[in-house]
Amino acid sequence: MPKVTRWMIKAGLIYLAAGVIIAGLHDVHSEWFGLSLLAVYWHMIVMGWITQVIMGVSIWMFPGRRRGKAKEEPFLPWVVFGLLNTGLIARFASEPFLSVANNSAWIEGGMMVSALLQTGAIAAYLSEMWPRVQAKKARR
Amino acid sequence: MPLQSVWMIRLSYISLAVVAVSGAVLLINKGSGLHPAIWALLPVHYELAIWGWLVQFVMGTAYWIFPRYLEGEPRGPEKPMWMVVILLNTGLLVLLTGAITGKEFRVMSMIGRILIAGSLLLFALLIRKRVLSYRGVHQH
Repeated sequence: MPKVTRWMIKAGLIYLAAGVIIAGLHDVHSEWFGLSLLAVYWHMIVMGWITQVIMGVSIWMFPGRRRGKAKEEPFLPWVVFGLLNTGLIARFASEPFLSVANNSAWIEGGMMVSALLQTGAIAAYLSEMWPRVQAKKARR
Repeated sequence: MPLQSVWMIRLSYISLAVVAVSGAVLLINKGSGLHPAIWALLPVHYELAIWGWLVQFVMGTAYWIFPRYLEGEPRGPEKPMWMVVILLNTGLLVLLTGAITGKEFRVMSMIGRILIAGSLLLFALLIRKRVLSYRGVHQH
């Protein structure tokens, strides 16, 4: 299993645990100190956990782009890992505070940076994986 | 990788790209308040994330990787699996068209979900016999 896959699965497990805790908090009170937690919970589970684990495992298990280089540590998946997790952290550090800090440039900027980083992560993941999804005949 | 899996995984990747872009636009709009009409993208964002990306990716990968039959077609009959691909993606398109246009949304939503349910049912029938282990088979 490549190192980047291990990091992605472990990061995913942290988001899963955090998402479940936040879901529990949201069930007790829909808002804590005026912070809205519902979108944080959904994105921790769907992006931080499920999508990140799918990305990590597919980078590991899907047929390699170039034969004979399967054991080389790939670079692009680390870009995916870095962009995705900084994007998610930027989101969780900004979005919940939107309702308590109206018109804050830091909050708006954080959300914009998060949107760009997460989109960049998915673009990097797709550019890594798209050529690797081929029928067996096409790979020969 | 069988051709049906190639199509499902690539369609799931296209869905993921649309999910990422729509999510980024929604997040930036939430922070900056660009235009209220942008919220119409929300159902596209979450329906495509669940059915187009996650479910379709898992189905395509399971069809490829689950244990194959020892005799006859290795993954069972191929035409019904093409029907799974067509029903799922047609259903999704009908569902999303209804969500975007807003016209006859309930009817289109229902038709889309029936097509998606048909696809899932057919997939379950096709894959259920491949949920097994061949460990110890040669010993008997």
